[in-house]
Amino acid sequence: MAIIEVNHLTKEYQLGHLTSAKETALNALRRLTFQPTLERERFKALDDVSFQIEEGEVVGIIGHNGAGKSTLLKHLANISKPTKGEVIVRGSVAPLIEVGAGVNPELTGRENIFLNGAILGIPKRVIQQKLDEIIDFSELEQFIDTPVKRYSSGMTVKLGFSIATSMEADILIVDEVLAVGDLSFQRKCFDRMEDLIKRQGRTVLLVSHNIRQIQRLCNRVILLDHGVIHMEGDPQKVCDRFYEQSDKKIKDTMELSSSKSIGSGEIDLMELYFCNEFGKRTEDLTYKKDCSIHFKINVIHEIEDLTFGFGFHTTDFLYLTTHNSEEQINIERIPRGITEITCNIKQLPLLPGIYSIRFGITSGKSARTIFYGENMKHFQVIGKIPITIRDGFFALDAKWEQTDANTAAI
Amino acid sequence: MLRIAYNLYLYRELIAALTYKNIVIRYKQAYLGILWAVLKPVMLMLVFTLMKGFIGIETGSIPYPLITFAALIPWVFFQESVSEGVNSVTSNAALIKKIYFPREIFPLTAMVTKLVELAISFGILAGMMVYYRIIPSAYIWWVPAFILYTMVVALTISFFGAAMNVYYRDVAQAIPIALSLLMYGSPVIYPLSLVQKKLLIEQAAGEWSDRLYMLYTLNPLVGIIDGFQRVLIKATEPDFGALYPGLILTLAFLPISYWFFKRAESWFADVI
Repeated sequence: MAIIEVNHLTKEYQLGHLTSAKETALNALRRLTFQPTLERERFKALDDVSFQIEEGEVVGIIGHNGAGKSTLLKHLANISKPTKGEVIVRGSVAPLIEVGAGVNPELTGRENIFLNGAILGIPKRVIQQKLDEIIDFSELEQFIDTPVKRYSSGMTVKLGFSIATSMEADILIVDEVLAVGDLSFQRKCFDRMEDLIKRQGRTVLLVSHNIRQIQRLCNRVILLDHGVIHMEGDPQKVCDRFYEQSDKKIKDTMELSSSKSIGSGEIDLMELYFCNEFGKRTEDLTYKKDCSIHFKINVIHEIEDLTFGFGFHTTDFLYLTTHNSEEQINIERIPRGITEITCNIKQLPLLPGIYSIRFGITSGKSARTIFYGENMKHFQVIGKIPITIRDGFFALDAKWEQTDANTAAI
Repeated sequence: MLRIAYNLYLYRELIAALTYKNIVIRYKQAYLGILWAVLKPVMLMLVFTLMKGFIGIETGSIPYPLITFAALIPWVFFQESVSEGVNSVTSNAALIKKIYFPREIFPLTAMVTKLVELAISFGILAGMMVYYRIIPSAYIWWVPAFILYTMVVALTISFFGAAMNVYYRDVAQAIPIALSLLMYGSPVIYPLSLVQKKLLIEQAAGEWSDRLYMLYTLNPLVGIIDGFQRVLIKATEPDFGALYPGLILTLAFLPISYWFFKRAESWFADVI
């Protein structure tokens, strides 16, 4: 039996503010006399959402702002009630929705541990047992008897996270909490979450804008869009779809704003296109096949000593590669007019997915930037990959073999 | 009623933790600390005693400060419980939006917090009784029952008021006014015997007197305050004639108020 069952969940909110006493009285009068009442405009935050989650599953929920993610979690945590439909949760729920909601600034760290424990429903006995562990994890030994109002904001969230994750429940609901504290603490939080998820086998619902985290932790992802389940299933596929959606949104807004690149005005990028291994123009590149990238530029002022460079990056701006033209071609001067430069790539190593390209031109020994732009073109890498390569961005040319321990030692 | 008691038991640790929080944050940076809580009835008692010097209120052989303080103990407890209780849901908006537990915990906690302050007031009363050499009688065992009754009255108003306050903040504005009016409708400054003398013996309002007295005793505080004075100081048994109209009214309204609160509860997070 599914541990969480959501059937045709619909949540409507009324738009606008509370009506005046006069309106309310008039509406009541109309209702009594069976006349139509004045209804405020309604907004569907969730529209007929249905899904099931089995025990031990780790499910990510992604979507744009206002897609209904938090509303959905609120229903699972029993904070809001559905307008229509039903939510069945079989087990205890630990809501880590914005940790530190119950942290009171006047109380000391230690007092807050007990207070928040009580709010989350952890018995005092359990907290007492775990007190040292919680304090230890929060890295706040020195400040634990200081009022929280004297804490830095990072210290407060550390405390909140430490308390919340010490809770033992069947279902963990996590909303944007992994990005807590400094880098080393974030690492610790992430490890703690992974421990909860992978080793303790809890059922976890994760909402985050950090798609990489979702992809890494979840075994199923639900993509919400305007209150409707847009796609559901394999993390890789759903996340790629989400990137695609985001890209479209980014592109749309970019086309509205006049330029997406910076330049000195000496050079203009006219066109950027790909060719496949047969030299034919293409929109998609194929994994492990040769291809070429063509930059058509318009030189407005004559320039000297040029270096070109391009790189691939993911749609969330993780730089994957760069490749500069230094030592490959030496262009001392370029006359005015339209020129095309090409970069040939052998056996494209990028794994299937969605990527983007950045491009720059510098001039002179001091590498003065003449042109630079990111997200210049989005493209998809297609193709089949062997089962040995699953996640990541690149294929590694590697091979497994079994070595006899005795010979290996020599 | 049973549901409330059960929840009270089930969430006792949460209520204890929230009560502790309420008390700590209220008095932490105050030098006098929790003494502020009892300053209110003590000051009122002093003012009333001073007033009595001008007006002249008949209290028999019992010292007026003592009788007033015995009246102020349940009154202040009731008044503070209600005004805290009505605001308890809206002032915890952050928690309501994040975590679920039965929302009646908030009015309950507000009341339990005041219970702590009530205990201190009793300490002062004990001191006064020693000073005036008044020995408590066996009737003192009625006191817990009266406290429980006061709690039930306060909860009845808190549940309804707190739920309404989420939708209409007017309630929080109206409650202090209503409470200060109610104080004059309760035998805090004057003893109940004075009202009884006017209405029941002298029949001051003519043929309406008995009905008027019934209306007056519909206020549960009348029975409670008079009861406190009787069992603590006068060493007599409670006046059941003054108690029952208010008690019936309260017991009739408690389920309705609780039902209303539970019904409204589902939308707290959306509306608050």
